[in-house]
Amino acid sequence: MYFKNIYEAVWTILIGMGVTFRHLFTRSVTLQYPHERDVLPERSRQKLHVNIDDCIGCLQCERACPVSCISIETIKAGKDEDLGATSNGQKKRLHVTKFNIDMAKCCYCADCVFPCPTECITMTPDFEFATYDRKDLMFRFSTYTREQVKTLKLREAEERKAKESARPAAPKNPESSN
Amino acid sequence: MMKNNLPETDYELEIPAQAIQTDEMTLNMGPQHPSTHGVLRVILKTDGEIVTKATPFIGYLHRCFEKHAENVSWVQVIPYTDRMDYLASMNMNHGYAIALERMMGLQVNERAEHIRVIVAELNRIASHLVALGTYGLDIGAFTPFLYTFRERERILDLFELISGARLLYNFIWVGGVAYDAPQGWREKVLEFCDYFEPKIKEYNDILTYNKIFIERTANVGVIPADLAINYALSGPTLRASGVKYDLRRDDPYSIYDRFDFKVCIGQGQVGTVGDSWDRYIVRVDEMVESNKIIRQAAQAMPEGDALETVPKNVKVPEGEYYMRTETPRGELGYFIVSDGKKNPVRVKVRSPAFVNLSVLPAIAPGTMVADLVAIVGSLDIVLGEIDR
Repeated sequence: MYFKNIYEAVWTILIGMGVTFRHLFTRSVTLQYPHERDVLPERSRQKLHVNIDDCIGCLQCERACPVSCISIETIKAGKDEDLGATSNGQKKRLHVTKFNIDMAKCCYCADCVFPCPTECITMTPDFEFATYDRKDLMFRFSTYTREQVKTLKLREAEERKAKESARPAAPKNPESSN
Repeated sequence: MMKNNLPETDYELEIPAQAIQTDEMTLNMGPQHPSTHGVLRVILKTDGEIVTKATPFIGYLHRCFEKHAENVSWVQVIPYTDRMDYLASMNMNHGYAIALERMMGLQVNERAEHIRVIVAELNRIASHLVALGTYGLDIGAFTPFLYTFRERERILDLFELISGARLLYNFIWVGGVAYDAPQGWREKVLEFCDYFEPKIKEYNDILTYNKIFIERTANVGVIPADLAINYALSGPTLRASGVKYDLRRDDPYSIYDRFDFKVCIGQGQVGTVGDSWDRYIVRVDEMVESNKIIRQAAQAMPEGDALETVPKNVKVPEGEYYMRTETPRGELGYFIVSDGKKNPVRVKVRSPAFVNLSVLPAIAPGTMVADLVAIVGSLDIVLGEIDR
């Protein structure tokens, strides 16, 4: 029994060694990463990207996010203001003054991608966005400058004031329902 | 009895009655210990090298899944279920999705059902591959770990193709799947089946029938069938004790009743029925069976639109439902209470790894400290699911 044990131990190790030996002659399965890169598939879910020109500010992505990493602020466009249309023909009615995505919070579930009516929020295969500071993971997509936002907010406040003073005369404003 | 000046706790850290006792020792294993598979802490009372008492302490990875689920909408729970058992996210999604479908009375599209079964079984293989590899690592065999991860990588590539993610998929949705299978995915799955089959022999050569591995695992941590049933074990841990119980066969959900597969049980080939080696070999056999299911499902996969039955708004009627599914670790149960509104009222999870771990204090006494590593490894726990 004693010698049989020794024999079995040596023999089974040799069988295992045979497997590893055969692997010496197979092709390598690893990549030397920074020098060689794998091509990620189209659906790959890494960094979020927003095509802000197409955003209509409907807040559907913000509502769908399970971890609330998207924050959007909008200001209604003026009556005679034309913001243009999105690439699939929807009319834009809101100024998207803030569209921030905190990639540090993001859980990469892609739940925000599906409800978007204009398909402007997408997940891209870009995964190399590591930073030294957590704050740098806050991505700001809105193109409005601080001054522009200030003037828009001022105008909105004025309009609201005007509306409030006009309310007793006209309780229902036809423009507010769009 | 002399007490130390530590605050009152549940576990015993008191100084024994006899002032001098050389043998008994309290040993803290974990939470940062490479062989506890995460952040499990076990407090051991040892008599020299022999364990006399083992008490597992959990909660180091607690993320309030159940409370979170009460505060997000029905659909938003799915990414959270991903994060419970992160080695088998598809199976976690699957259980939740089926529970909601049964509450809503939703019939799922045929193609979606096939895709679901394929990804769930692929994930079972991936999870068992991790179990195998890390078990070898616990015992001291490094090479099999690399080989199992090589195969797992191919499964993750398949998942990346279909869902875009490699670990946390959010893929199986209520009423179907998130994406339809892309062009050529089915062929790739079949290709993987062909590729994977001969690899089993490789694992058997290098690890399973290795004499040293057998010596370390056979007759270690034996769980007899009655003990396994008393502790409500499930999955491979239960089947290794010789109990033929698999929810895919005994309480078929999805379309598992259409496929031909066998339920693998431990036979005590090299030791006693229900030892660590049996739990290991059951996983190896199960991978072969999963491979069979995948092949059948991929061949039977009909054409069509997999997203056909995904509802735009998930409205769950008032009521309660308990749904159990078979994950790689065992019986996963979701108990869901709905009041017909936007959020779940309660999502209670019966997690298999938690129940499987509960048997540890019963089987640990009398084993060596080094064997305890082998036992914990053979239970194949995932702390993310235990703590939720």
